[in-house]
Amino acid sequence: MNLTGEFVAFFILSVMAIGGAVFMINFTRVIHMALALAFTFFSIAGIYLLLNAEFVAVIQVLIYTGAVSILMLFGIMLTKHRDEEKGSIAPWHSVLSFIAAGAFFGIVMWIIYRTPIAGEQVDLKQFGVARLGEAVFKQYVIPFELASVLLLVALVGAVILAKKEER
Amino acid sequence: MSLDPSLMHIAVFFIVGIALPVVALGIGRLLRPHQPSADKSVTYESGVDPTGDSWVQFNVRYYLFALLFVIFDVETVFLYPWAVVYDSLRKEMGLFVLAEMLVFLLFLVIGLIYAWKKKVLEWK
Repeated sequence: MNLTGEFVAFFILSVMAIGGAVFMINFTRVIHMALALAFTFFSIAGIYLLLNAEFVAVIQVLIYTGAVSILMLFGIMLTKHRDEEKGSIAPWHSVLSFIAAGAFFGIVMWIIYRTPIAGEQVDLKQFGVARLGEAVFKQYVIPFELASVLLLVALVGAVILAKKEER
Repeated sequence: MSLDPSLMHIAVFFIVGIALPVVALGIGRLLRPHQPSADKSVTYESGVDPTGDSWVQFNVRYYLFALLFVIFDVETVFLYPWAVVYDSLRKEMGLFVLAEMLVFLLFLVIGLIYAWKKKVLEWK
């Protein structure tokens, strides 16, 4: 395994992503959890960038780090978030979850190593944002416009639901 | 497969963005005196004594602002590839590209007007 810049960047980003996730579970304050989660989302965006998926990386930052984190923070502000819960956990609970997580990891790794990855190698650079934009705005114009109708329906639905809640 | 040089720009921004607050706050912590007292750690509320604490439970209607924000954020996702290919597609298809996006935006403006009429955007 040679030490390229890509490998170092991948290593740092995955440590950050996993670290964010671990901190999210271990923090007792909900607001810290949300921040740690946003940090994890951000690191995952960096990993997408390393995989030459710029568009997915931008979406990850815009939607997940930006919007979903904000949505969670708003959700936290609306609920009773002051109790720093320290529930009683049965002693065998952590052992059981460790076994379950280990089994899941084993199965996933087994599948990854067994699956033959067929297909030819292509230059990933040609699947950039420009190709995607051309496909969406030339070939799939109608689905694109329908997406805006979908967003409109979501907006109206959100307004109606929230208005009903208020009454 | 080697790294795109433009990724290095992003990496530099990333590192500087993380280092700047860490270094600034770290130096501040080293330089400033640290003598907390009960009066100093009171929540600041425009010079009057605060009632309760800063962690209040907000009204449900603020959640709508977050939901609207998410919807317009998703809209931005479509604007981004459109802006990238705009020049090349304009040479091919003319102003149809612009019309496409205008129709797309029109639907969302309708939604915004609807929310406005329903007095969702009023901050009481």
